[in-house]
Amino acid sequence: MLRSDQILATVEMIQKENLDVRTVTMGISLLDCRGGDVEQTCKKIHSRIIDYAGNFVATCDTISKKYGIPVVNKRIAVTPIAFVGAGFFREDFVRIAQTLDQAAKDVGVDILGGFSAQVEKGMTNTDLEFIASIPEALARTERVCSSINIGSTQKGINMDALAMMGKTIKDLAEITADQGGFAAAKFVVFCNQPGDNPFMAGAIHGLEEADAVLNVGVSGPGVIARALERLIEKHPEPGTLRLDELAEEIKQTTFRVTRCGELIGRAVSKSLGIEFGVVDLSLAPTPTVGDSVGEIFKILGVDAIGAPGTTAILAMLNDAVKKGGIFASKTVGGLSGAFIPVMEDAMLAEAVGDGSLCLEKLEAMTCVCSVGLDMIAIPGSVDADTISAIIADEMALGLINAKTTAARLIPVPGKEVGDSVSFGGLFGASPIMPIRNIGKSSRFIAWGGRMPAPIHSFKN
Amino acid sequence: MRKEMIISVMSKDRPGIISDITGAIYRLGGDVADLNQTVLRGYLTMILSASFEPEVTKEDLLAAISHIKTSCKFEVSIKELSPSQLEEEAGPPEETYILTVQGPNKSGIVHGISLFCFTHNINIFDLATTLRDGQYTMALQLDLKHCISSLAKLQQELEEYSQQSGLTIMMQHNDIFQVTNEIALH
Repeated sequence: MLRSDQILATVEMIQKENLDVRTVTMGISLLDCRGGDVEQTCKKIHSRIIDYAGNFVATCDTISKKYGIPVVNKRIAVTPIAFVGAGFFREDFVRIAQTLDQAAKDVGVDILGGFSAQVEKGMTNTDLEFIASIPEALARTERVCSSINIGSTQKGINMDALAMMGKTIKDLAEITADQGGFAAAKFVVFCNQPGDNPFMAGAIHGLEEADAVLNVGVSGPGVIARALERLIEKHPEPGTLRLDELAEEIKQTTFRVTRCGELIGRAVSKSLGIEFGVVDLSLAPTPTVGDSVGEIFKILGVDAIGAPGTTAILAMLNDAVKKGGIFASKTVGGLSGAFIPVMEDAMLAEAVGDGSLCLEKLEAMTCVCSVGLDMIAIPGSVDADTISAIIADEMALGLINAKTTAARLIPVPGKEVGDSVSFGGLFGASPIMPIRNIGKSSRFIAWGGRMPAPIHSFKN
Repeated sequence: MRKEMIISVMSKDRPGIISDITGAIYRLGGDVADLNQTVLRGYLTMILSASFEPEVTKEDLLAAISHIKTSCKFEVSIKELSPSQLEEEAGPPEETYILTVQGPNKSGIVHGISLFCFTHNINIFDLATTLRDGQYTMALQLDLKHCISSLAKLQQELEEYSQQSGLTIMMQHNDIFQVTNEIALH
C-alpha cells in the first residue's frame, strides 16, 4: 500500500479542493450522414448521435460514482456541419441545428459543439450559406454551439470571412437581445482551431478523427489555488519561498489532477467501447467561488488582476500546467493551457468592473496562454467592423505564434460601460468592458482578401 | 509438487535477522517468494512465503530457525498451505478501496472502524495508523468484493458513522491513489 502521507495528500485534493473532471466530450463523426435531402440527413444525424451517445451520460455517472470524482460536464462534439451539409442552403443548416439540439436533449447533454466551418483559406458557396444560417440557428436552439476557423499559421487569415464575423456576432446578439445577446456566447472564432478540444463553445470533431472518440478536459484552478496557499502558509518567513518552487507545486498538482482525468476518461472509454483520444490540460474557471484562474494571479503576487506582472504570472502558470500534465497523460491535445474567460471567472469579471483589467491587457495575456479573448461583454453600440478588427488582432497572435487563439465577444444590446450582464449558470456574469478607438478600423477590415501565412510556416 | 509455507517471525530488531531467517530456509532448499517486514518501536515483524521439497516439514524449518544464535529469541509461527489455498486468486480485485480516518486520539478508534468493516463483510487488506500531535490517522486498504452494502449505501453509512464518531472519514477507489502517486500509468 502507499504511504499514509501520499494517501492523505490525495484525500485533501478530493475532499477539500473540489477536484473534478471538468468535461468528458464524445466526438462523433457525421461525415457519412449526408442524405439525398435535408430531412434524410437530419434523420441520419439524429440516429448516429443516439447510437453512439445513448448511454454516454449514464456511463459517465456510473464511473464518476465508482471513483467518487464528479464529471461536471458531459458533452458532444461533431464533424464541422458545413462539411456534413455540403450543397445545402441557409434554411437547411438551421434545420440541422435543430436536429442537433434535439439529439443533444435526447441523450441528456447540455451542450453540443460542431455547428462549425473551416474557412481559413477560402469559402465555398456552402460555407457562405452556412455562415448566414448561424444567427438564426443559435437563436432557435438551446444546446448547440458554433465555431468558425478563419485562420491558421499554415494558410494565413481569411479576411473576407473575418469581415463577416463582426457582422455575425452583432446579428447573434441582436437576435437574442431579450437575453442580453446570449447567442453570441455560443459562438467562437478561431485561428488554428484544434480538432480534439473537449471544451465548449469551440469543440469540434475534426476531419482527421476516427468515427468516435472520447476526449477529457481536466481543470482545477481551485485545486491549484489551494495547493499554492498551503505551500505559502508553510513558509511565513520572507525569502524562504521562491517562484521556481511555486512553479514546481503547480506542476506536481497538475500531474495529480491530470491523472484523475485520465483515469476517469479511460474508464468511460473502456465501458462504452469508444477509443480514448486526449486529455486537454486546461485550467478552466467557473463562476463558482474558489474556482477562479484570476484568484491564482493574486495568490502569486499581484494585488489587482491586470497589474504589471499579470502576463508573466500567466506565462509561468500555463507552462507549469503543461509540464505537469504532459508527463501525467499518455496523450495530450486540445487547447491545453490556462483559460481566461472573463464572464465565467468571477474574479476576472470583478477586475473588469473595477477597471484594473482592460481589453489590451487581456490581449497581451492571450499571447502566453490559451485560448483568447473569451467571454467578454462589450457595449452593444460597438460596430461590426470594430469587432472584426478586435478579432483580427487576436487571430494575428495565433497566426504568428503558431498557437490557437480565439475570440468570443458579446456586444450586449442596449448596454454600455457601467452596466453589467448575467447569463447565469456556467456562462456567468460581468460588467461591460470598455472598448477604446471604436469605429476607427473600417478601412482595414474593408480590404478583404487574405493575410498571408507567416514566413516561419514554410517548413517543407 | 513443491510445498508452500507461510512463516511469521517476531523479534527485537537488530541487523541480520532477514539474513538469519532466509539462511535457514536456503539451507533446507527453500525458495522465498513474497516477504513483508516492518519495524515498530524497536520490534521487527516479518511474514514471508517460501516453497520447499515435499519431504521438508514445518518442524524441520522450526528447528532450523531455533538453532540460529541470537540475543533475542525469535517468536515463530509456520503454516503449510493446502493445494486449494494455493489456487485462490492472488492480487487485489477491482473493488479495492482506500478508507482514511482522521480525528483526535481516543480509545477504540481502530476497533470501531474494524468492527464497521467486519459487520459489512469487508476484508482489510492493509492498515497503517499513525499518532501525531494528538491526531490519529488510519489508512486502510479494503476489499469490497463481498461487502453486503452497495457502494452508495456504504458511503452513506460511513457518513453517518463519521457524524456519530466525530471522525473525518473518506473512502475512495484504490486506483485514484495509484494514479496520483505512482509514475507508471496502469
